[in-house]
Amino acid sequence: MDATVFLQQLVNGLSIGLVYALVAIGFTLIFGVLNVVNFAHGEVFTVGAFGGLLVITMLAPPLWVVLLLVLLIGGFSGFALERLAFRPFRRFADEASLKSKAMREATLLSSLAVSIIVRELLELKFSGEMQTIPQSFLLQSPIALGPVLITDGNLVIFGSSALMLGALQYILFRTRVGMAIRAVSNNVLGAQFVGIDTNRTIIATFVVGSLMGGIAGIMVGLYQGAIFPHMGFEPGIKAFVAMVMGGLSSPGGAVICALIIGVSETFATQFVSDGWKALVSYGFLLLTLWFFPSGIFATRKEKM
Amino acid sequence: MARHLNRWLILALVVVLVGLSMANKSYLNQVAITTMIFIVLTASLNYVTGTAGLLSLGHAAFFGVGAYAAALLSTKAGWSFWFTLPAAGVITAAIGIVVALPTMRLVSIYFAVATLGIGEMLYVTMLNWVGLTRGPMGIRSIPAIELPGAKALGLSSTEVSMLAVALVMLASLWAMHRLSHSFYGNSLRALREDDACADAMGIDIARLKLEAFAVSCFFAGIAGALFAHTTGYISPESFRFGESILVLSMAVIGGLGSLYGSVIGAVVLSVLPEALRELGSFRMIVVGLVLFLSILFLPRGLLGEVSALDLVRRQLRRAPAAGGRRRW
Repeated sequence: MDATVFLQQLVNGLSIGLVYALVAIGFTLIFGVLNVVNFAHGEVFTVGAFGGLLVITMLAPPLWVVLLLVLLIGGFSGFALERLAFRPFRRFADEASLKSKAMREATLLSSLAVSIIVRELLELKFSGEMQTIPQSFLLQSPIALGPVLITDGNLVIFGSSALMLGALQYILFRTRVGMAIRAVSNNVLGAQFVGIDTNRTIIATFVVGSLMGGIAGIMVGLYQGAIFPHMGFEPGIKAFVAMVMGGLSSPGGAVICALIIGVSETFATQFVSDGWKALVSYGFLLLTLWFFPSGIFATRKEKM
Repeated sequence: MARHLNRWLILALVVVLVGLSMANKSYLNQVAITTMIFIVLTASLNYVTGTAGLLSLGHAAFFGVGAYAAALLSTKAGWSFWFTLPAAGVITAAIGIVVALPTMRLVSIYFAVATLGIGEMLYVTMLNWVGLTRGPMGIRSIPAIELPGAKALGLSSTEVSMLAVALVMLASLWAMHRLSHSFYGNSLRALREDDACADAMGIDIARLKLEAFAVSCFFAGIAGALFAHTTGYISPESFRFGESILVLSMAVIGGLGSLYGSVIGAVVLSVLPEALRELGSFRMIVVGLVLFLSILFLPRGLLGEVSALDLVRRQLRRAPAAGGRRRW
């Protein structure tokens, strides 16, 4: 493999890795505050893509407006998801029941149920086929960067992911909402003692996580030119793997692992056929669980 | 009384299913056969997830391993159903043990994640190992089930399938009932409730987990063999993550930890989509809604596990009526 191909694949791998990273952040934030895996997160990704598509076909605004509107849609879907699938099961606010095993199992299954319903509704409305995206919005026009050919989709993904990750860093460490999220994720009871409203914090977590998931959805849709009701499954699983590798509730670790997964998956296509590519991430998952049972970047004691 | 009620319930279900088969409509026969296969599959998932408390998110893949084992043994090696059935179970259990060995140390959500990964790996293998599994084309013309002496009795081939599947289902349910309603089953429940405590009581938890997983995979393999021989055609699409979730939903709706619940859950979720066929594409939505509502309003399922404490309470309440004798 010569240097050009290497660079080319690196760019592609990093783009897809960044998308996984954006999805994985939502997983880790939500796991942090509730200790539960949100199985409907892949559907937030899909909803972001379809929302973007609707905006494009109805209004046809410039790309940055599309992205902003998708942010809104993603945030709203996170809010709705929390209300539907998580809030009804939270009858008590103390830590013991907030992060209890029964809660975890109930919300895991309820988020699964919501994801089934959302996916089937989308399929009913839009049919299971790939959607047609207006040509002018496809992020596939090539840009020659020396010998390496990238597309404007790569640039958009790099740019907006960097922006989103920076914003996330700012929100988590510089704003009251972010501090509340970190506090609840660290110690619910302690957070309540200092007057943090756990319910509002949980909603904020879902909104922030889903913003990222939704925008990842529309970017992948335009970059790969494929928007369909089942599109959330694969990035969902990959992001899930990244979350586990990163130590479940560490957003930084999840981002790094998502990039590792994206890049190694892309390089794997050089050696094996496309179908076997999926084994790479599951292989990583099992190796991680084998050698680092609580994730590579796990910082604090796991609370299972 | 409650136990007898449950047994009658199962018997009634069997009668209904057999009755459906005798209705002499191949569509109803097919529904009944599928339902019975899903009963075995759900009960096997319930054994590991409900009784032993190990959430498995890749169960459909083991179902698939059993189906492929039976299909390949019968089409390539020419084995008959009664040999492929146990072979499929044993092969699935063996593969289950091999892939699950490294995950046995994992607890709770990590175990669930690992089974999800294993399930997807098995699916990807089924899809891409074209040399063995013919990949997405699937395996066709798997011979149907044959019973000795069926011709003499004048049974049609669907009736033979029905009978054989019903027999295997009853045998599997009986075996799983014996396993889970015993001291051995109680040690599995101890593992579910608190594995550290079970460990301290001298239970070998790693071995117990492995055994529970192997038993569960064995019966999933049996269900897979039934599926392969009754449909005659299998392809990897039937063994994806979504199918695992469907089976999990069946176990949850029926009540995790309860064998009877699994039977009810499997029946509800297999018959409901068929009954709602007129609704067309709405039926999966209805399944999702049923799952959601049952978690919300029936957290223990339609026919949940009766806890030991409840049993004692019931005994105490009934005691005066039974002649004032307190039976413990």
